[in-house]
Amino acid sequence: MKISLNWLKEYVDLQNISNEEIISKLNMSGLEVEDVVNQNEIYKDFIVAFVKEKKKHPNADKLSLCTVDTGKEELQVICGAPNVDAGQKVVFAPIGTLIPKGNFRITKAKIRGTESCGMICAEDELELSDDHGGIMILENELKQGTPITEALHLNDVILEIAITPNRPDALSHIGVARDLAALFSLKFKTPEIKLPSSHKKIKDSASVEIEDEINCPRYSAKVLTGIKVKESPAWLKEKLKNAGLRPINNIVDVTNYVMYETGQPLHAFDLDRLSKNKIIVKSTKEETFFRTLDSKERKLPAGTLMICDGEKQVAIAGIMGGENSEINSSTKNILIESAYFNTSSIRKTSKILSLTTDASYRFERGIDPNGTLYSAERAAQLIFEISGGDILEGAIDVYPERIIEKVVELRLNRLKKLLGYEIPEQKVKSILKYLGFEIAKENSGSLVCKVPTFRPDVEREVDLIEEIARINGYENIPTISKINITLGEKFDELEFADRIRNAATSLGFFEMINNPLQGEKSASVVGNKIRVLNPQSADMMYLRTSLIPGALSVVAKNNNVGEKDLALFEIGNIFNQKNLNSAINSFDDFIEKQTVIFLVSGKSSLKKWNSDEKNFDFYYLKGLVDSFIMNISLDNVLNDSYYHNAESIYDISFCKSYENTVLGSGGKVKKEVLKQFDIHQDVFCFEFDVELLKKIPVKEKHFVEPLKYPKIVRDFAFVFDKNISYEEVSAFIKKSGSELLKSVDLFDLFESEALGGNKKSMAFTLEYFSESRTLTEEEVEKEFLNLISSVTKNFNAKLRGN
Amino acid sequence: MLSERIQQIHTEFESDISKVSDLKELENIRIKYLSRNGLISSLFDELKNVAKEDKPVVGKSLNELRNHSTNQFNVLKEKLESTSSADGEKIDLTLPGVTKVLGSKHILTQTLDEIKIIFKGLGFSVFDGPELESDYNNFEALNFQPDHPARDMQDTFFISKDFLLRTHTSPVQIRVMNSHQPPVRAIMPGRVYRNEAVSSRSYCMFHQVEGLYVDTDVTFAELKGTLVSFARQFYGEDLNYRFRPSFFPFTEPSAEMDITCYLCHGKGCKVCKQTGWLEILGCGMVDPNVFGFVNYDAEKYTGYAFGMGIERTAMLKYGITDIRVFFENDLRFLKQF
Ligand SMILES: [Zn+2]
Repeated sequence: MKISLNWLKEYVDLQNISNEEIISKLNMSGLEVEDVVNQNEIYKDFIVAFVKEKKKHPNADKLSLCTVDTGKEELQVICGAPNVDAGQKVVFAPIGTLIPKGNFRITKAKIRGTESCGMICAEDELELSDDHGGIMILENELKQGTPITEALHLNDVILEIAITPNRPDALSHIGVARDLAALFSLKFKTPEIKLPSSHKKIKDSASVEIEDEINCPRYSAKVLTGIKVKESPAWLKEKLKNAGLRPINNIVDVTNYVMYETGQPLHAFDLDRLSKNKIIVKSTKEETFFRTLDSKERKLPAGTLMICDGEKQVAIAGIMGGENSEINSSTKNILIESAYFNTSSIRKTSKILSLTTDASYRFERGIDPNGTLYSAERAAQLIFEISGGDILEGAIDVYPERIIEKVVELRLNRLKKLLGYEIPEQKVKSILKYLGFEIAKENSGSLVCKVPTFRPDVEREVDLIEEIARINGYENIPTISKINITLGEKFDELEFADRIRNAATSLGFFEMINNPLQGEKSASVVGNKIRVLNPQSADMMYLRTSLIPGALSVVAKNNNVGEKDLALFEIGNIFNQKNLNSAINSFDDFIEKQTVIFLVSGKSSLKKWNSDEKNFDFYYLKGLVDSFIMNISLDNVLNDSYYHNAESIYDISFCKSYENTVLGSGGKVKKEVLKQFDIHQDVFCFEFDVELLKKIPVKEKHFVEPLKYPKIVRDFAFVFDKNISYEEVSAFIKKSGSELLKSVDLFDLFESEALGGNKKSMAFTLEYFSESRTLTEEEVEKEFLNLISSVTKNFNAKLRGN
Repeated sequence: MLSERIQQIHTEFESDISKVSDLKELENIRIKYLSRNGLISSLFDELKNVAKEDKPVVGKSLNELRNHSTNQFNVLKEKLESTSSADGEKIDLTLPGVTKVLGSKHILTQTLDEIKIIFKGLGFSVFDGPELESDYNNFEALNFQPDHPARDMQDTFFISKDFLLRTHTSPVQIRVMNSHQPPVRAIMPGRVYRNEAVSSRSYCMFHQVEGLYVDTDVTFAELKGTLVSFARQFYGEDLNYRFRPSFFPFTEPSAEMDITCYLCHGKGCKVCKQTGWLEILGCGMVDPNVFGFVNYDAEKYTGYAFGMGIERTAMLKYGITDIRVFFENDLRFLKQF
């Protein structure tokens, strides 16, 4: 909200306090100053100037060549505005002036071959409004050379304050001034109301009836007759402009002014357009249509709180008035509405209509139910002052049940217990009083406070504690340098994920973080996708069902920028709906689980001066997955299995399982899947279910004495039928060997024409040793020969010549 | 006389050997000085002519010369041999070595790790929670009243009437308090979602770390102490800080913590919007209504909570100006950290 410092000074005497101090105190009390516009600073170089002469630019039809008198000198200035003319007083920016709009500095320029020494300004260039219709034309009495800060009263400091949703009272100058008074211990005053008397009584000219008392607990109104709708006086227009509002006419301007002064939204009806001079506040029973004063036809659902006259709807309560009862230039008699509406009713309607106004913003946060009449009278007084007329005697004030002040007890020891330091009781009382809290009773050690109704956010003791802490300054709360650490059990639920990350990075993988919100194509690759009801865009409409599509998109993006060789991993949550046809009403309707994906694509090693390049392939992936498992100590626990499923996204694939549970799977991604992602190189990936992985008991490690006796190593190579797998042979060798055979390692594999079309050669290294003695060559040789003959027999294999 | 010769040959040797650059030249040195007919041997031959009483001294210095030059020769020989192939040709040692690719954690993970280490050192546990949350845990139990404008502070992606993508990590507070009795001291990192237009400054998803401490005597003063300790460990010892009142439905009183902008050291710059301060986190004392929702005795216990954005923290720390870069996973970005 824009707050004018000059305006604030009408309620609190800030004369001796610097702008910097004011801003700092506001910041440190919870009214965050987001921006400061110091007009004296911004407009310091602009002056009033006189256009002495206007000629056409010799080389441009739309430009004028003006001679401008700045009071000190006469300058030639080029102006493009259609309304510039000789004899005018204008706002002039001399060379060197910084123009607020666009933040550029005026320099001596040549425009179409002619020199220009400065600029004649329009309102938008000064950021006074958005108007760029033409240059600003000033009152003729102003003297050339006068700074505009003086001539146009541009000497205010405008603060942009971010008001948190709990502080509706601060959505007004009076509210901010009250905080400042408390912060600086200064006197605070609100305008006094003195209304002229009238011989006409209000009750004879208008009446108000509330049908829906729940949603409209109070409706106050004042009536003025014989007013004249016209342009507002300069002081009023200036104030509204400084608060960021556009002046409209004196009546609307006063209602806006009072709203920005007290926080109470007001609405002025043309009384003569209200049928039977009557106001009825009621909620609609069925869907209706209504044309608001911005000339928009709006569809209102049943249950919308409306202001009606004797026969029709005239305003959406608390949000916007209707075109049918709006003030216009011929309006003579007005009714000023100053009501209190139920906060959630206004919020609901504002949400449904997607219509937020200054009024609805305040009503939905909660205004002061006991301030309505004051604001109505304040507006009546101001309208009377600037437009004449007659303020009818009395007020309409329908308030069936007075909303009373809450009573909250504040225990001083609780204040100390929560904040960790003591604030003297006198100081506590003083803060409360400044903020408008009445101390109804003083007990020993506690204060019973009446909470003003303009502070709906204060309901409990802790709310009072915050008020005191805030005004006394958080900087006065000590920053202690010692804490107690409880020696209880400690948890780290992210430790396992950390181990995975450490394992992955040590294997050369880079971690990616992808957006779990995906488009339909990606989310449909596997699983049962969950839809977001209010997505931002079609490509973020679903939650990911797997980490694969996100990872593939990363491959595509990287390939596009020339990064072809990738080893990536991601650990993240995936989401699947259990039953596609039912909505998500409980945690049982979906599965959210953490998975990790490893992906490799391109070259595993590049061509170097001393080595050849190598591509990532299926076996590389397999080995990486094995190394990973070893790294997290699950080797010797998990099994490999191989299957082919036509629906799988993999051409060739393998799984890792524990007992009968599959923990993860992966392989070479099918070309057709890659094509969907616009990837033109092989991709290998593997996804693990982290939750399952985490549950597997890790084999405990025990120290094993390093071998004391030598190993005996033997190699052999056989020619097998091509369809015999490595797995079969190595399992057979392990099974057939005695307990002295400790390891079997494949070290060579090839096929060749010489071997025959459906043959292959596999060569193994066998390691024999015993933990308890030295083996003899003879016993190993005997075993080795036995093994050769059983392998030969079992697989009908042929030992290759030694 | 001989002792002068010894000195002279020593000097000559030093000068000659310093000029040697390959094995062939070194061999010449060996022949000249160390071979059977070399200069040093010839000096030994002359030893017999030296007066008897001088013999021990001269003999000693001659031995020294022989040992010294043999040593020098051997050292240089080894050096030259190791840099030459068998046939004596020189090896190019400047050729690049064989490197191993080291992977790396995402910079956001690294940032979180740093934060985690600090809080674990202060006695905090680490808890996790789901991203697809109930409205109850995300809002209601955190004292966001239905239909209150406070809900507008966090634009929400809804999955159904009662389920949503969590807008902050605070629902994990509710989960932890529901499953543990005080004292509870924990941080809760995680991913959160906001339905905000994607731009260089905001993304529809980001990461937070939530903190919570509940016990019988937790004060705002302790909250300040703990967070200042964190900030000094994380951002540097010499920073200034301030706590400003703010509003969060689940804490009362609430605050935002600023630290001195470390880009301009408080003088004011573009990043800190000329204020000299950078907001790093939101915090406050746990609202008694929240204790009500988790059945903690609000009279007996007090607590504090805080939350900070990891992206923002990393952006400040590493000078990243566009949040989207974190989620593009461009290898050229990932490799930088
Ligand atoms: Zn800065």
